[in-house]
Amino acid sequence: MVIGVLLGILVGVLPGLGAPNGVSLLLPLTFGMQPVSAIILLSSMYWGALFGGSVTSILFNIPGEPSSVATTFDGYPMARDGRPTTALATAFGSAAFGALAGVVLITLSASWVAKVALAFGPPEYFAVYFLAFASFVGMGGSPPIKTLVSLAIGFALAAVGIDTVSGSVRLTMGIDELVKGISFVVAVMGLFGIGELLIAVEDELQVKAISSKVEWREVFRTVAHLPRYGWVLLRSAAIGCWMGITPGGPTAASFMSYGIAKRLSSRRANFGKGEPEGIIAPETADHAAGTSALLPMLSLGIPGSATAAVMMGGLMIWGLNPGPMLFIEQKDFVWGLIASMYLGNVVAVILVLLTVPIFAALMRVPFFIIAPLIVIICAVGAYSVSNSYLDVVLMMGFGLLGYLFKKLHYPLAPLVLATVIGDKAEDAFRQSMLMSKGSLGIFFSNTLVTTLVLLGAALLVLPVIWQTLGKMAARSPARQ
Amino acid sequence: MVSGRALETATALLTGTFGAAVVISSLDNGIGWSAAGVDAGTFPFIVGLIILSGSVFNLVQGWLQARDIVLRPSELKRLGILFIPAAIYVGLIPLIGMYLASAGYVFGALAWHKRGSFIFSAVAGIGTAVALYLIFELTFQVSLPRGALGDVLGF
Repeated sequence: MVIGVLLGILVGVLPGLGAPNGVSLLLPLTFGMQPVSAIILLSSMYWGALFGGSVTSILFNIPGEPSSVATTFDGYPMARDGRPTTALATAFGSAAFGALAGVVLITLSASWVAKVALAFGPPEYFAVYFLAFASFVGMGGSPPIKTLVSLAIGFALAAVGIDTVSGSVRLTMGIDELVKGISFVVAVMGLFGIGELLIAVEDELQVKAISSKVEWREVFRTVAHLPRYGWVLLRSAAIGCWMGITPGGPTAASFMSYGIAKRLSSRRANFGKGEPEGIIAPETADHAAGTSALLPMLSLGIPGSATAAVMMGGLMIWGLNPGPMLFIEQKDFVWGLIASMYLGNVVAVILVLLTVPIFAALMRVPFFIIAPLIVIICAVGAYSVSNSYLDVVLMMGFGLLGYLFKKLHYPLAPLVLATVIGDKAEDAFRQSMLMSKGSLGIFFSNTLVTTLVLLGAALLVLPVIWQTLGKMAARSPARQ
Repeated sequence: MVSGRALETATALLTGTFGAAVVISSLDNGIGWSAAGVDAGTFPFIVGLIILSGSVFNLVQGWLQARDIVLRPSELKRLGILFIPAAIYVGLIPLIGMYLASAGYVFGALAWHKRGSFIFSAVAGIGTAVALYLIFELTFQVSLPRGALGDVLGF
């Protein structure tokens, strides 16, 4: 677990390597391990990455993770003003609270959700998938059509290879090696690893380090002061949990939480200048979302974030089938994982505080040394998934695609999500069609399924309505 | 210099081509309804259509709206300095194997930037290859490709 957390912090600190990427790099190495220890390693790494991302945001104004971008707004100014310890402690304290809120939520509701989900048939499942994908398009914050394209590309990638229902070979474009399909690990490494590297190299990284000494007395004092911001903490945790369960993801959660905190705060003018609330809000939401994203993954088999999607892919490779049956067949595994979440977060907080100076020193290693190493790690990682050179080439291709998508604000998370669960969604759809002999009416055959489908449809058209309303609002004052 | 318009157009054309390829390729698997249920090509066919139409929309949008410059020459140059060697590295793997390629890549990157001495760069390159061997071949028993050169040498 300690190794996992340390690796996670490393991945989180390094720009160009993020949590989804780090977890997928470790995946091929865990195939020989017991599933329980493997998932603990991976989830510890996840916590580490979430914390590590905040360290660089605060000390260097460089977010190590997309989700810690919002932390730079107030974290960096506070550290620059000579209070780096306060900034770090505030961030970690609120992050731990957010993560705790997420874990408690999982502990309390996971088995209940799983029980409800046991009654699900294929149409219900498809409706839930539909809802998840629709909420991406509707609430992701990126241009809806770009989200849709990204999502659909993910589905198409998932369909490559042998079709599980009919056994026929699909979309290989005449390349025999593609019969085995395209592994999501390869896609993630290219999209996030190489893609982010290319984004990072674009602006010359000038690391202006702030003294990174941690004063312990200051840490305790800051954490003791946190309850004063109880309302902000609770609100941000709630936002985070909500965005984590519905696949909005940690990045959207932290921005949303920051925005709301800024709007509602009585010290609005201080935001952007080192206001504690401006650190608490995004950090709490970020970690709450990151943690609670595992709830739908475990109980429904629908991951709430890109990293959760990668982890779920890992579960499937280890022969575990995420979803309600997991709670019956693999009780030990599920509760072992949940227990490790409590412990893992505590370990992560302690380790990250202890190692801040070391990792801060690492940031001073010039980028031109780190960049080739990341390329090599990604190439070896892609190769080791199935010992195929084609995967390495594909990975580089995905890298270019990831760069273009990042640059033009296409979201990447839907693509990853769709590559992981695309097959399942398709199977659910085709099984429902078999049940109903080809009639779409099955998606309106009972209250549950109808509600889910309608909710999904509402989320799908919501952005269009908002946009039109926004345009109308913009036009009407012009007319007067 | 690259404008937002050019980048948007290129990306939309890329995704659009992919979508078209998916649509055409899924026609081979059959679309629609048969005795065995929904045909294998149906789902990819719909997905391909979504990609295609979405790309057309993005193409038009990008053409109309994105006018400012998104990539300055200096940025483009830095991108090239990172990506071209990386592409060469991947291209060399089947020829000289992953170990040699990785060592050469690290050595080349360090020597290019002229930081540290020639010997330091060489040590770092060899160190990378050794580390890869220790971690993957010995610890996790993943055999990395040796390339055509490796076959010749019998390694």
